[in-house]
Amino acid sequence: MDRHTSVARTPVSSVVVQRRSKSHRLSYRSNVGTMSHLGYTPGFSKRRLTTSRLAPKHSRITEVNPEQLALLVREWQLSYVTPLYRFRHGQLKSYSRQLAAFMVSEQQQGVAAEVGLESALKVSFTLVAGMAQTEEEANTVFIQIHSKPPFSAPDDPQKLLWSGWLTSVGGNPDYLRSLPEDFVCLPLFCSGGTEGLTALVKAWFQQTFDCCFGPLEINSVNLQWLAALWTDCHARSSIKQLKLVWSLPAEPPLEVTYTVHPQDAWELWRSIRQPGERGGEEEEDGSVGLEEVACFIKGLKSHFYRHFRVELSAGRLTQVSTALGSAKHGGRLKISNSSYMITTLTLLTECALLKMPI
Amino acid sequence: MSLLRPLSKLPDLNAANVLLVENEEHFQQKLADVMVNEKSVIVQVRLAKSLPLPMKQEKSRPRIDLVVFIVNLMSELSLHSAEASLKHLAPGYFLGKVCFMVTNARNASVPAERMEAVRKLASALNCPLLFAEDQTPDGVTNAAERLLVILRVAAGCVPMTTALFLSNLTRCTISTEAEQQNSDYDA
Repeated sequence: MDRHTSVARTPVSSVVVQRRSKSHRLSYRSNVGTMSHLGYTPGFSKRRLTTSRLAPKHSRITEVNPEQLALLVREWQLSYVTPLYRFRHGQLKSYSRQLAAFMVSEQQQGVAAEVGLESALKVSFTLVAGMAQTEEEANTVFIQIHSKPPFSAPDDPQKLLWSGWLTSVGGNPDYLRSLPEDFVCLPLFCSGGTEGLTALVKAWFQQTFDCCFGPLEINSVNLQWLAALWTDCHARSSIKQLKLVWSLPAEPPLEVTYTVHPQDAWELWRSIRQPGERGGEEEEDGSVGLEEVACFIKGLKSHFYRHFRVELSAGRLTQVSTALGSAKHGGRLKISNSSYMITTLTLLTECALLKMPI
Repeated sequence: MSLLRPLSKLPDLNAANVLLVENEEHFQQKLADVMVNEKSVIVQVRLAKSLPLPMKQEKSRPRIDLVVFIVNLMSELSLHSAEASLKHLAPGYFLGKVCFMVTNARNASVPAERMEAVRKLASALNCPLLFAEDQTPDGVTNAAERLLVILRVAAGCVPMTTALFLSNLTRCTISTEAEQQNSDYDA
């Protein structure tokens, strides 16, 4: 990018013009302004959108993919991953061997020289098709660790010790394009299993691909997004109930579980989406704005206040669950229905991308 | 009318009166205890949960030189209550006699939208935005010192300086996208 000197470049906005022409007193103000601007930039690079423009969200119906069913089984703990260096989708078999060897050697460290009878592990890396949204996005990788008792026949059922997956669904295309050549971006990592095994898998990834892991929390605004998006799907497949859990800062902390009947939630959502109209046709243009989400949650909160005189805004939204899935503030996610998985994962991929430190 | 007016009463000699408005009523007590120990001016601290202030103490209340809104970013209610209280201030206060103080800004569970909303509010009203740490005594002392600087000016105890002049220097600014890009190229 060629740089112009500040003298030659014509300032575009009028505020910059004022900065140049006034006295030194106002240039001090512009310094203060700049410093507050520097303090304000929360580490977002120019390559990514700020959260204020998170308006359009599409809810789409997708076909059920049998491999994706494996993702519905348990509750996942979310983390973000920085881009992986030289991760090749074609070398998954060798990665599985390497990871198995690494785990066995880690488990045997510190143990006296004994052939660990229960330390035989079988690791498998598989690709899950159908999740990447664009050409440039990397495919989802699903990792499973089975325990293999040494004296069993080959077709005995193996116990699943740990499973996890790395995914990128609908990541920002500008960011993906701006990454250097050898990097693969799979920012969302979901793990299910014991903490010790998760730590070992993360250590292997960090060692092999020079990446960093970190905890991904779902903050209250994103939980509200999920509540609204899942309610939006009620027309096509029933959500059974909308359950919200708030935690209020009282002594001792008060936890409020607010369960809404699905039809009521749907009526409220519809009245916000089409104010004053009784919708006859189904809308194909499914983009949802942040104001609509805020309005929906505000409606639920004010209803609660009218009945119980408890102001839910004083607390924090910690959990949202419907028949389509449940999400908790600490970063735990369960997807129960594969049809709307893509929307949920798009939101979470975006959270992971924003939380990544680079 | 229940509006709080800045200049409707006579000032006292070498005195400064500040009103701390906070919905949780937690940090304001700690701040008040520290601020009252100031030696150079006689500081009187009034505490309130929200505006409008009750009418029955109208006579005994002194002239309020500075109104500080303390917003706890952990709860949305704090911000809404502060916004609702703003309506009960006379416009004369917004010439440097209002200040916003924000706690818990570093907490990871605070959504960025709320911080953004507070910034927009403070910069739309041309008020300074201070960040405070309310858990440790050091944090409370630091916050109190910064408030005292603004308070002394707002009460007229600093010669050659008025509240309006100071607010011109300390007010919260938000740069738009175009300015951000310009300053990135210039830097």
